[in-house]
Amino acid sequence: MKKKLVAALLAATMTLGLLAGCGSSGDTSSSGDAASSGSSSEAGASGEVDTSKEVELVMYVISDRPAGQDIVDENINAILKEKLNCTLKINWIGWAEYAQKYPLLFSSGEEFDMAYCAGWLGFTSLAQRGAFMALDEMLPTYAPDNYAMQSESALQQATVNDKLYAVPTLLPTYTSYGSIYRGDIAAEAGITDTIDTFEEVEQFADYVVANHPEMEAIDQYSAGPELSLVWTRMNGLMDVDSNIRYLFCDPSEEHPTVKALYDLDGAVEFYQMCKNWSDKGYWSKSALADTDSQKTQNGKAAMRFHNIDSWSGLTVLHPEWDFQFGTMTSDVAHLPYTQDCMVISNTSKNPERALAFWNLVTTDQEVYDAFYYGVLGTSYELNDEGQFTVLDTDLYATSAMWAARTLDLNRNQAGVPESYDTIRAGWEETIKEGVGSEKFTGFVMDTSSISTEVAACTNARQQYGWPLELGYTEDVEASIEEYRTAMQAAGIDTVIEECQKQLDAYLAGLE
Amino acid sequence: MKKEGFLYEFKKNKALFAMAAPAFILVLVMSYFPMSGLVLAFKEYQYNLGVFGSPWNGLQNFGYLFNSGTGWLITRNTILYNLLNLITSQLLAVVIAIFITEIRAKYFKKVTQTVILLPYFIFWVVVGVFVFSIFNYETGLINTMISSLGGEKINFYMMPMAWPIIICAFNAWKWTGYNSVIYIAAVTGVDGEINEAAEIDGATIFQRIRYITLPSIRPTLVTMVLLQIGRILRGDFEMFYQIVGNNGQLFNATDVIDTYVFRSLITNPDIGMTAAATFYQSVLCFAIIMIVNTVVKKIDEDYALF
Repeated sequence: MKKKLVAALLAATMTLGLLAGCGSSGDTSSSGDAASSGSSSEAGASGEVDTSKEVELVMYVISDRPAGQDIVDENINAILKEKLNCTLKINWIGWAEYAQKYPLLFSSGEEFDMAYCAGWLGFTSLAQRGAFMALDEMLPTYAPDNYAMQSESALQQATVNDKLYAVPTLLPTYTSYGSIYRGDIAAEAGITDTIDTFEEVEQFADYVVANHPEMEAIDQYSAGPELSLVWTRMNGLMDVDSNIRYLFCDPSEEHPTVKALYDLDGAVEFYQMCKNWSDKGYWSKSALADTDSQKTQNGKAAMRFHNIDSWSGLTVLHPEWDFQFGTMTSDVAHLPYTQDCMVISNTSKNPERALAFWNLVTTDQEVYDAFYYGVLGTSYELNDEGQFTVLDTDLYATSAMWAARTLDLNRNQAGVPESYDTIRAGWEETIKEGVGSEKFTGFVMDTSSISTEVAACTNARQQYGWPLELGYTEDVEASIEEYRTAMQAAGIDTVIEECQKQLDAYLAGLE
Repeated sequence: MKKEGFLYEFKKNKALFAMAAPAFILVLVMSYFPMSGLVLAFKEYQYNLGVFGSPWNGLQNFGYLFNSGTGWLITRNTILYNLLNLITSQLLAVVIAIFITEIRAKYFKKVTQTVILLPYFIFWVVVGVFVFSIFNYETGLINTMISSLGGEKINFYMMPMAWPIIICAFNAWKWTGYNSVIYIAAVTGVDGEINEAAEIDGATIFQRIRYITLPSIRPTLVTMVLLQIGRILRGDFEMFYQIVGNNGQLFNATDVIDTYVFRSLITNPDIGMTAAATFYQSVLCFAIIMIVNTVVKKIDEDYALF
């Protein structure tokens, strides 16, 4: 009898014990609300923070912990102790585990103050789900200098359900995509003009295929193709949301219509071009199985499509390959400022001090340098132009709290070509507040009501859209039809309808 | 048999209860308490409200699994893959266990056993790299051989039908050695005298295996199979993800519930929707194990798990 009982328990354990994964203790306290309401009433007219009590601020960032973090901590903490009577403890969530661990930070009820957040970390959905503390009153009070520098659209982007949930970055980034290619090979091929059209890409890639069999002409790997983004950006279109990069609209129209990628004008020709390029061998036939994300960096690919910061990183690593950047975006706009942002957890006990720290780090060069670059002479050094060089990348590169960067305090890395600044200045000139794509920088898509359909579409796009974009098909039109059918089954029409509705509401709100 | 109360039972076997207590508590804490989290499958999770405070949203969390019609496909794939893997890896494990125990040369036996067990210690990430270097179109082992012999290259990543075989082969390669350890123990446990007697009576080696070894390890085999069936709706995520990766062309033939959920929610994580998938798998697993166990019980009560 007893043996049976034990066996039954054992079996039950094995069958049901597997459920363990979905349990998580969930009583995140309501301390967030209490703290925020309490502090707003305490806020003195002067906006000065009460620093009489020493506190330790805890910050979470996404990256792998550098070996030299202790030295950097010691240095910054000495400064912070003097200025704000606090110390800073940085916790690192590694690249390998952030997708699982980051959302759990907020559901575990752990007490911490600051965290790095971004669109790709699900800022909007976390904010909707009450993970962060509202900062509407605290930010102007405790971080007045930072607040004064924030643009209206930045604050608007950080506002979810009428509450301000993040401190956006003060370093503008751009929607611009382009070609990053080997200048030495282009010179060899006799291409002198900057490569920024598909014809020129083709010319360059043909040359690489014919003369450099040791490398791929265009870098493609398992994270998915970027070509459709380049194509739409060249045509002045804009993706409705960075997590829904299969829906586009034309921001120059008065009332833009949201359309799926495969329904855009010229989509068939575009996919046909992808197939031609694939057939010509511009990239591997097994690209989606290839997990090597550094082929361009390691000299195994001659060109890739990405943003200007990837390019500047490559120029520093390999000056001998003379990397060039060709802008392939006709209507450059600022990326949402929440692309990099700092959030205060709803479990924070010292939001006032955290904001005071943030104010300091974004306005004081000394504190910023100590926080972002580490210790002068040990982890970095400066040249005459104020550009920095990382002394030992194994020890410490730069901080992973990218949201702390500001246009004034941020330094360029030594070795970044001058064109980095001139190209960006050129974009800044073309951007006009409230015109074209820029008009939509403040648009934040709320997908909470269509999360089911978005999940299914994300999947269908990967299953049918990616292979098509890499030209892995015999019959382009049949594959497009298959893709369309799958997307419709996944509920794309509902997604389009919702996007259109929110976009219209946003435009109506602007008037 | 006279029925006695639990208290009587407890008094009589205090020592046994004390010994069972740690395991009992562990199971309770690690497996039964977390089950309350299953309510998340029916809730719209809010970080500030917690598991029990979040509002209910009915069956909405299950929508993404079934609305697009993929729910059935991935459920079918998961079950078929697990059945295939179950049969191949257990069968091979039994065969290998018998072979190894029949080997007389001591060192050869040890070396063979070690070599077969080794793949178990290789991570799927590494296996994924093996697979890529064997099957990729440009520089893969097979295609390099084909083209050097003057043949036409094969694009494996465009051939969904090849992958069930590839996946099954790698699964067997990785697990057979590990599973065979249990069978080796069972085979070694067979009374040597019976074998000797059979040998004297003139039984050939195949007759001995057929009439002595196999019947002796049958209980072990049935238990192992039953345990595996309890996991039949759980795709080995790592294996599928590392071997198949992001190759959309293969998904119809290779997608299992776990990979589908991962892909759908990677850009927009939602605890409620993940819990819904787990809930679905668990309920089906529970139903299947109950049915199979009942069937086994009908055939031979001694072999049933409970």
